[in-house]
Amino acid sequence: MAEPDLTAPAAATHRRAWRAARITPYGEVLSPPRLTATAIRLAVQVFLAGCLWGALYSHTSSSAGLTREQAVSYAVLAALAARIRNLDRAAGRDTITQHLRFGTIVYWFLRPLPPRTYYAIRALGDQLYGFVWVLAGYLVCRACHMVAAPASAGAALAFAAALILGQLVLYHIMLIIDLVCFWALRNNGATMILQLTQNMLSGVYAPLWFFPGWFVTLSGFLPFQATLNIPLSLYIGRIPVSEAPHHLAVQAGWVVTLALFTRWLWHRAGLRIVSQGG
Amino acid sequence: MAWEPLGWLRRFRRAWWVAWRITVLNVRAQLEYRGDFLMVIASGIVWQMSILVFATVLLARFSGLGGWNSSQVLLIVGMRLFSHALYVLVFGRATNLTYLVQEGMVEVWLVRPMPAFRQAQLAHFPSNGIGDLIVGVSLFTAAVSRSAVHWTPGRIAFLFAGVIGGMLMEGAIGVTLASLTLHHPTASYWNMWVDELWQRLGAIR
Repeated sequence: MAEPDLTAPAAATHRRAWRAARITPYGEVLSPPRLTATAIRLAVQVFLAGCLWGALYSHTSSSAGLTREQAVSYAVLAALAARIRNLDRAAGRDTITQHLRFGTIVYWFLRPLPPRTYYAIRALGDQLYGFVWVLAGYLVCRACHMVAAPASAGAALAFAAALILGQLVLYHIMLIIDLVCFWALRNNGATMILQLTQNMLSGVYAPLWFFPGWFVTLSGFLPFQATLNIPLSLYIGRIPVSEAPHHLAVQAGWVVTLALFTRWLWHRAGLRIVSQGG
Repeated sequence: MAWEPLGWLRRFRRAWWVAWRITVLNVRAQLEYRGDFLMVIASGIVWQMSILVFATVLLARFSGLGGWNSSQVLLIVGMRLFSHALYVLVFGRATNLTYLVQEGMVEVWLVRPMPAFRQAQLAHFPSNGIGDLIVGVSLFTAAVSRSAVHWTPGRIAFLFAGVIGGMLMEGAIGVTLASLTLHHPTASYWNMWVDELWQRLGAIR
């Protein structure tokens, strides 16, 4: 009698997870217009960011502790990093807001899989796909000398760790924005404000080092700067490697805090869903 | 059939009256969710403020941009925000066309006795435009008062022509991209891209 394949259930679970994770990326890959639009958007955004910051530094060599090379690298990397969670699910009627509006959110709670796990798998797929674009863009920008190399090998390692933690923080922030839908029938305003705040306080528009001291201090008490400002500042050397453990600990603290908070929110959200009287 | 000016004028006035009534109904419907209505207005303020903050930070760190001094850059930013606010209020519904196409609303519009484009523009009231307008007008007024330009009637007319022109240019681009969504849903990607382009670089470039 053949030995039972004990890995079969695990392999099946991984296959199902992979199929769920690839839904949104698959929709984009199978649509040449979307791929073209994504590539052109990214290229133009990166080009303009590089030109803008290069022009700003045309009459100065340093500002806010950043040299021209550091500022241009930061701006280009920020333009690239903004692509990681920028997949458009709305065109496929696949955002939580749309699921709530059309009632299909109930299926999330009827599957033999917790909705928070399903959401996490989908988000992982989106972020991994976005990361492929970022990596391709990074290699092109390095070849064109738009982005400098990491400040040091230690900075590169710290950057990699901070980037992963930053993406986890970003995941939870986006999750909170989506979970607001379960309480507000219309959450357009809250969603827009949170997304704009995230963009402003994470350093997407401009490195936080250019802002007044009180602004930088205030942003230090919020999780947004952990998503992008910390990893990029480590990369360009604005935050020395000696201070990396402190900043990585801050990021890890936010990941744990937001994970606990979102877990509680999912539980509360589930109590608001009614399906077949239950 | 001979052109009847009075009949045309009557139809024109009636069309505007219907549009006004629909707009009032849209606002009243949004006021049913007062919290969200105020948040949407606040989001417009935050959107405009993010551009202003970006420009202010750069002006504080870098003396002049491209040879323009701070008051000149502020005037450009003020004009930009004002024209954008007008665009959002007049043409801003165009960006939602993707979702209205998904919901099958276009088929409904085609059987109504009103042009489909007009119905697209009346589909909802962009409350965030109120927030945009508050910031846009405020900054525009402040920038004009700080400007060293000697304002003659000709220059004032030119200034407002620039603001209106900015609104119409943004509207032309927005409506063109929105109309592409009638043919393919992925055109919404271009809408999103133009929106973030204007947000990040529209005033500074």
